[in-house]
Amino acid sequence: MVLKNNQRTLVFLLSSIGLITFPHFWHIPLSIITFFYALLLWRFIGIWKSHWLPHKIIVLLIMLGGIALLLNHFRSFLGRDAGTSLFVIALALKLLEIKKDRDLYLICYLAFIVASSQFLFGQSMLMALYILLVCCALFTSLIIINSQQSKPVVAIKKSATILAQALPMTLVLFFLFPRIQTPDWVFLNDTNTNAITGLSDTLDPGSITSLALSPELAFRVKFENNNIPPPRQRYWRGPVYSYTDGKRWTESQQYINPSYMDTPKYKGKAYKYTLLLEPQIKNWIYTLDMPAQFSSGLYKNPRHQLLTQKQSNNRREYQLVSYPHYNTGYITKAEFRENTQLPYPASQKIITFIKQLKGFNSSPEDFIKTLLDYFRTEDFYYTLKPPLMKQKPIETFLFENRRGFCSHYATTFVYLMRVAHIPARVIGGYQGGEFNSIGKFLEVRQADAHAWAEVWLENKGWTRVDPTAAVAPERIERGVDINKQIAQGLVNFMSINNSNAYSWFKKSHQLLQSLDYNWQRWVIHYDTGNQANFLSSLGIKNLKIMLYWMMGLIGFITLCLTIYLFKNNDTSIDKASFYYQKFCKKLAKVGLQRQPNEGANDFYTRISQRFPTQKHQFKVITALYNQQRYGKQPTKKVLQQLQKTVNQFKIKVNIK
Amino acid sequence: MKQLKLFLKKLFKRHYLDKKSVTLNHKRIYILPTQRGLNFALLVALLLVISFVYNNNLAYLLSFLLASVFFITILHTFKSLAGLIISVSKAHSAYVSEDVVVDIYLDNPSILERFNLTLNLNNTKTIDLPATQKRLVTLNSPTLKRGWHYCEPITLACQYPFGLFKAWSVLHFEVKALVYPKPSTENNPFPELAGEQAQQGNITKGHSDFYGLRDYQEGDSIRDIHWKSMAKGQGLHSKDYRGDLLTELWLDYSQTFGYDSEQRLSQLCRWLIDADNSGLQYGFILVGLTLQPSSGSCHFKKCLTALALF
Repeated sequence: MVLKNNQRTLVFLLSSIGLITFPHFWHIPLSIITFFYALLLWRFIGIWKSHWLPHKIIVLLIMLGGIALLLNHFRSFLGRDAGTSLFVIALALKLLEIKKDRDLYLICYLAFIVASSQFLFGQSMLMALYILLVCCALFTSLIIINSQQSKPVVAIKKSATILAQALPMTLVLFFLFPRIQTPDWVFLNDTNTNAITGLSDTLDPGSITSLALSPELAFRVKFENNNIPPPRQRYWRGPVYSYTDGKRWTESQQYINPSYMDTPKYKGKAYKYTLLLEPQIKNWIYTLDMPAQFSSGLYKNPRHQLLTQKQSNNRREYQLVSYPHYNTGYITKAEFRENTQLPYPASQKIITFIKQLKGFNSSPEDFIKTLLDYFRTEDFYYTLKPPLMKQKPIETFLFENRRGFCSHYATTFVYLMRVAHIPARVIGGYQGGEFNSIGKFLEVRQADAHAWAEVWLENKGWTRVDPTAAVAPERIERGVDINKQIAQGLVNFMSINNSNAYSWFKKSHQLLQSLDYNWQRWVIHYDTGNQANFLSSLGIKNLKIMLYWMMGLIGFITLCLTIYLFKNNDTSIDKASFYYQKFCKKLAKVGLQRQPNEGANDFYTRISQRFPTQKHQFKVITALYNQQRYGKQPTKKVLQQLQKTVNQFKIKVNIK
Repeated sequence: MKQLKLFLKKLFKRHYLDKKSVTLNHKRIYILPTQRGLNFALLVALLLVISFVYNNNLAYLLSFLLASVFFITILHTFKSLAGLIISVSKAHSAYVSEDVVVDIYLDNPSILERFNLTLNLNNTKTIDLPATQKRLVTLNSPTLKRGWHYCEPITLACQYPFGLFKAWSVLHFEVKALVYPKPSTENNPFPELAGEQAQQGNITKGHSDFYGLRDYQEGDSIRDIHWKSMAKGQGLHSKDYRGDLLTELWLDYSQTFGYDSEQRLSQLCRWLIDADNSGLQYGFILVGLTLQPSSGSCHFKKCLTALALF
């Protein structure tokens, strides 16, 4: 049996289901999406041509087809992608079999599951808004099922109102509902395509250049008390490249026993901050040089780099403390060996060059200074498009081209140090970051990727030296102007005066970024740890108090809502009835009861026959009541008049 | 299930009756989730599990949103009934095994439009009630016995907006109606008149010849009203017939036949209806009650009432 008068319901329901599944176009195999939309279209046509709908046996065949499709793609029903596809296929099949209202409900419920599965693929603010709208459409369908007569506009309004009223309670539940850390179950680990590449584990001179044109976000940092380090201290330390084959630099695979190492001493001002790291392929964490304290789940390797214990495909948040001034202490033999490694003996040309700069005779500090001065005074250029240096890159760069990007300067510098027997290594990471004045956080993008050097010095330990700063100090002081750099493909730094032509553009951009940051922090990234932090900052210390608060707030919201909903009901029209009832009660006392099927006018005729002397009073009250209840515009004035006349009204029984 | 229903019936049974008109408020409205509502709760639980497994905060947010909507729906479902004024107007008399028709007025004094109000007695009626409107709903109550018939409680229920909850109110109005005996289906002739040889079909009508007009009296048959004079604005007049009263028809209980009193009453009822339909003048004799020959709806009603309450 096909439901009658149900076309509108079906049109609404099917359209909202089409909308709900739409974003899966980008997530699940095209064949499954095509399968879904084909069946949806079929069902849509079936609304008007019900004899076109498939027979039971054909539905069974289609179902087998769907299962085959699923198995062909995933070979299982578990996991995010397979599970989502399963629900999409189930929804499509159920569409072909709508017989009762119950089926419509089942379809709605399946659609809610599909809507929820959208979030497993992306959690942007836009997606959340989209799903909220689609949920509103689904609830509207439910309303239309339950009131065939109501107009769609009324139903949409009703469902939107209920959703809006549900929001405060949703937020309370969201922030106070106890979160339990999910165990990382193996079978659910799908590969995440959203992870960004970032720095690679080999550093060849071109590797950072490609990043310099990427506006992609790397991470965001919020400093406690807005205590932000000056630009020249904003070095975000990442991988340590200490092994070289003469052309490329990679992380060393050697084992260094941390128990032989000195413990670093930290001095000066501490920076406490929260790092919100975009999904990464590597388990590297970028920290302000040099991290001292870090949240659990992280560890520090002997090269002072922070790493996550488990690789995570999600955006993660970390609490960190860094000190820009530190002393790592003595160097172990293994470290020394690792950081003076050279692939082959240096060429005569290099040795002569170092000798010229008195590299072998003077102290390391002096040599570093002379070398940096050399970079500064000679005609070295900082450029995004250096000429290719395939053979002997260091010599070519140093003696012939003299054009290079930060990686060229860093690798060359470290190489020269090592030839001069000074332990040195290349550090990869990011430098700078744009301060978002609206959200008060620092935004670091891929274009901020940078490479610099670390040199081990007596009494100072590992010391950061940035040869790029000698060639292009603006890079360090002002940072990269990413938009311009991308537009022109050339190195571009932030201009000094901020009042440039597109500052409003910048402002709105910052506003969006700030919104997104807070969205990430408060919604996407709100987990067990954050919940504990956030709630304890509000004075909620343990689970029991948390539950009390949750119950209390929900109770409070319910109370407010109840008052709001039922106060609204008490309109002046209602009051007109109230006063009229009062009038009727007065008459009932003398035996004149208004019958339920008796209109106000009929009642008036009857009572005026009985009490002709008060006919006028009856007339006034009846007219006022009719005007207020059935008139075009009930007004306060009429109501007050009615109230007054009713209150003054008395039956003069003695006249009988 | 049946036992549970009986238990619930017992639980909600009232020992007093409602007044003629009842305004629905929190004391009168019950709310429970429907089967669909329970399924919705399961859906929310499933979404919570998905959010937990994938540690996905937006999925959590969606689950919480649905849970909140579920909760708030209680208020909205309640609101869809609250404030309605339901009153019983009249229960129409019927013959046994016919349904007593009960007139019920549903009044919506608020500016809120009400949807899908379901009234249930023996049959179910679903209506929408726009703001500040009053609507007449007729419900049926089946009859089994002659005499006073008391209707079962009336249920007013509503599942608007989402069908997840059902709000209902049971109304124990005192709705009573007279149930007349079931007219016999046997076509027995009118009782023979004492001393006369009147035969079926040979009974002369008591008013074959038009005599004149007289003032309308309560109880005169509608058939006899002189509509022409009424249309002229001269008031109600009845046509008076003075035929030769050849026979007087007496419908007498003692002249009925049957196994038991019910069957005899049923026969008497048939005669009454036939006599009234053919506009005869008839007298009525029941044990201990004699009504002089007359005609008209009032007389007819009187006789039927006597039959019902016999």
